[in-house]
Amino acid sequence: MSDTLLTTTGLAVSYGAVKAVRGSDLEVKEGEVVALLGPNGAGKSSTLRAIVGLIKYQGSVTFAGEDLTGAPTERIVSMGISMVPEGRRLFPQLTVRENLLLGAPRKAKIDALFDELLEKLPILRERLNQQAGTLSGGEQQQVALARALMSKPRLLLIDEPSLGLAPTIVDAVYQILADLRKTGLAMVIVEQEVMRVLKFADRAYAMTTGQIALQGRAEDLLASNEIKKVYLGGA
Amino acid sequence: MDALISYLVNVISLGGTYALLALGLAVVFSVLGLINFAHGELMTLTGYVLLAGILTGQPFWVAVLIAVLACGMAAVLMEFAAFRPVRNASGATLLMTSFAVSMLLQVLFQNGISARGQAIPVPPWLTTSISIGNSQISKVQVMSITIGILALIALKIFFDRSYWGWAIRAAADDFEVVGLMGIKASRLISFAFLLSGLLAGIAGVLWVVQRGSVDPLMGFKPVLAAFIVAVIGGLGSLTGAVAGGFILSAIEIALQTWLPAGVMPYRDAITYTVVVIILSFFPNGIFGKRDQEKV
Repeated sequence: MSDTLLTTTGLAVSYGAVKAVRGSDLEVKEGEVVALLGPNGAGKSSTLRAIVGLIKYQGSVTFAGEDLTGAPTERIVSMGISMVPEGRRLFPQLTVRENLLLGAPRKAKIDALFDELLEKLPILRERLNQQAGTLSGGEQQQVALARALMSKPRLLLIDEPSLGLAPTIVDAVYQILADLRKTGLAMVIVEQEVMRVLKFADRAYAMTTGQIALQGRAEDLLASNEIKKVYLGGA
Repeated sequence: MDALISYLVNVISLGGTYALLALGLAVVFSVLGLINFAHGELMTLTGYVLLAGILTGQPFWVAVLIAVLACGMAAVLMEFAAFRPVRNASGATLLMTSFAVSMLLQVLFQNGISARGQAIPVPPWLTTSISIGNSQISKVQVMSITIGILALIALKIFFDRSYWGWAIRAAADDFEVVGLMGIKASRLISFAFLLSGLLAGIAGVLWVVQRGSVDPLMGFKPVLAAFIVAVIGGLGSLTGAVAGGFILSAIEIALQTWLPAGVMPYRDAITYTVVVIILSFFPNGIFGKRDQEKV
C-alpha cells in the first residue's frame, strides 16, 4: 500500500467566474480506499470530473507515474481510471448487456470479462437483456459499477454510491465495494453519508468551498470534533 | 380499396425517404446537439454525383453506389472542415455554421454547375409501372419502398447489434458518459457524420429519381421536412425519426389525395397546423426526452 497511484497537485476548476475547486492536492495509493467528503457545492464531484478529463482544470494529475494532465478521457480510461458518475447515468434505452459491453475496451476478451463480472454480481445475469432504464435504483447502481469495471480499472472513482437508495440497498452496494476492495482495486468515493464512508475508507479528505479543509486516516476523522461539528451538528 | 392501396404505397414511399433523412439528422443531433441544415445539400450533392455517374456511362446501380459513398465522405469532410473547429461552441454557433455551409454549397452548385435544374436520365426499365389490382404503381416507387425498407432494416440491425450502433444510441442518451466508456469523442462524431451522410445519400438518390431532376436549391424542402419529422418524433430519438417520417408522410399524402381542389393551396398550412396540434399533446415529440437540454 505504499505505491502512489494517483496524485493531483493544485487542482483547480472554474465554471466561469465561480471557482468550484481551489487547488486541491490529493493522493491515492495502490489498493487504497479514499473518501472525499464535503457539503453540496464543496467541489467533490468537480474534482472527480477533472481527474477523468470531463472538465478543464488547472494543476496537474499524475497516475501510475504518468502525467495525465489535460489528457482526453479515453486515454485516462485506457490507463486504468474508471468512474461511476453521480446518479448512475446508465444508458436507459440500452439493455444491461449493451451498457456493459460499451464499457469494455474494443479488443477485450468479452466472454472472460463477463464471466468474471457476473461472478461478482450474479444478479446481473438475470437482467442482461432488460432495458437498463427499467431496473430498480439498486440494480442500476450495480450495473453502473459493473460497467465501470468492464475496462478493468486500477482506480475506481465513485460519485455518491448511496444517492437515492434505501438503506438496505446501500448496505448491499457497500458489500459489493468491500468485495472489490479485496481484489486490490483502489477507490475514491464521494459520499454524503459521511459516517458510513468513514467507517469503510482507509483515508479521507474533507472539502469545503473548493478546498481541502481536513485530511487524514478515516478512523481519526471519524473521531474528530471538526467532522462531528460539521456533519453531525455537535461537538 | 384501390385508393387505399395507392395511398399506402405513397405514404410508405415518401415516409421511408423522410425517415432516412430524419435519422441522418437525429444521428448527428445525438452526438453534437446540432440540427445540420446542410444535410439537404448533401442530398443535392448526391444528385449531381449520380448524374455525373450516369452521364459518364456508369451502370445505374454503380452510379447510385458511387453517389451514396461520395455523400458519406462529403459529410465526414464537412464535419472535419466546418464543425470540428467550433465543436465546443454554443448551439447557436453550430446552427449558424450549418446554415453557412448550406449556403456555401448552394452557391458552389449554382456557379460551378448550373443554377437551372438538370434532368436525371433514369434507366427506361424504371419508368414503367406494375399493377396491383386496379392500381398502377411506378417502378420508381417500388424501388423507393424496397430501398427505404431495406435501409431501415439494415439500420435497425446496426443499432441493435454493433458496438458503434450502441455507441450512437448511448450518445443520444448521454454523450458525456459515452466518453467515460473510453470511446474517443472525435471518432464517434466522425462516424456519426459518415452514417448521416450515407443516409442522406440513400434519401438523395430516392428523392432525385422520384422527381427526375436535380437543382442547387432542391435540398431545402426535404431537410425542412426532415427537421419537422425529427421534431415530431422527438429530437435525438432514432425511433422517433422513423415514426415521425411516416406520420408526416401520412398527413401530407392524405391532404394531397383527399383535400378539395379549392383548399389545396392551403395544404402545407394545414399540414403544419396538424403538426402543431400533435406537438401540443407531445411537447418534446412523441419519443422525445421529457427534459431536452440540447439546442
